Amino acid sequence: MKTNLLALFGVMLVLLAGVARAQEQTDKVTADPIDDQKVRLGGSVPLQFNFHVKQGFHINSNQPTEPELIPTRLTFSLPEDLVIGKLKYPPGSMISLAFDPKTKLSVYSGDVVVHAALLTQSKSATGNYTVHAELKYQACDDSACYPPKRLPMAFNVKIVSGARSGPKARPNAQSPHIHN
Amino acid sequence: MKNSIIFILLVVAATFGLVFSAKHMSKGGTAAAPDFTLKVLGEKDKTLQLSSLKGKAVLVNFWATWCEPCKVEMPWLVELQRKYGPQGLQILGVAQDDSDEETILAFSHKMGLNYPILQGNNHMNDLYPSQGLPLSVYVDRNGKVVQRVVGLVSESVMEDAIKQALGQGSSSDSTKSTASAK
Repeated sequence: MKTNLLALFGVMLVLLAGVARAQEQTDKVTADPIDDQKVRLGGSVPLQFNFHVKQGFHINSNQPTEPELIPTRLTFSLPEDLVIGKLKYPPGSMISLAFDPKTKLSVYSGDVVVHAALLTQSKSATGNYTVHAELKYQACDDSACYPPKRLPMAFNVKIVSGARSGPKARPNAQSPHIHN
Repeated sequence: MKNSIIFILLVVAATFGLVFSAKHMSKGGTAAAPDFTLKVLGEKDKTLQLSSLKGKAVLVNFWATWCEPCKVEMPWLVELQRKYGPQGLQILGVAQDDSDEETILAFSHKMGLNYPILQGNNHMNDLYPSQGLPLSVYVDRNGKVVQRVVGLVSESVMEDAIKQALGQGSSSDSTKSTASAK
């Protein structure tokens, strides 16, 4: 009986240490899955990316107040037939943390929504595509900061022929490769 | 049987408490600080080995340019180095940063750091694992870790730990000041 209890104690210690470590390593930001998109040739569809910052943490906004701070940034890896229009990040909340009340930081916490538009070009080919996206962020809590992380995402896009359903792709839209 | 269940529940509760309180602060006292040799930024071809500082109390402070709380404690570190340097304290700043040397040095100069800044690397993450920054490891004159602190604490807690590393008395109640820094 005593031996069993000791063994149980040992197992619990290992498990709890594992749980604590796993909690520390858990992503501070999660993303909602992105629905499959359908876009007509020469047209566009609006995109919405929903992120959730874990309670007790914050991440820098897209425009942090100090040059050393790492901005939250969404980048894309796209097939040549697709273009991402200008991304619209929400404004950051200006906060001061207890440890440094004099410094104002522009941060996101809770739910964060980034808007964008997905455009096709007139020379795009119809068919199915996969768009890969990545959110780069750097999180902190009240007393510590955590190394920059990348949160990968992907969604499917179908380009179909037909009448235009949205604005024409702008020639000055971002190039069809990696963007922010 | 009933006693066994109560015992197990107590063990679980105690273990949870121990694991989570150790997240920010842990006391050493017996473990030797893992030795390392790192490049000293701003000094051509110069490296520094931790074990070469035996006989001194060493505060190994891990930081990064993107870490706001690290920045907050830097003026305190400057003051503590000035105050306790003559008594045998050596602070080492380890930049765990992807930025280039020039950027790190410019930042260090801007902050007026008066102690060596070393270029960190992934191996240091293995030697001194920590998810968060700042990480401060207090090493006594015999090369033993006396305290390891993750996250920002108050200047008085840092001073307390430095005194402990110098052998000038032990840290009284470290947890109280962790809370006061928040």
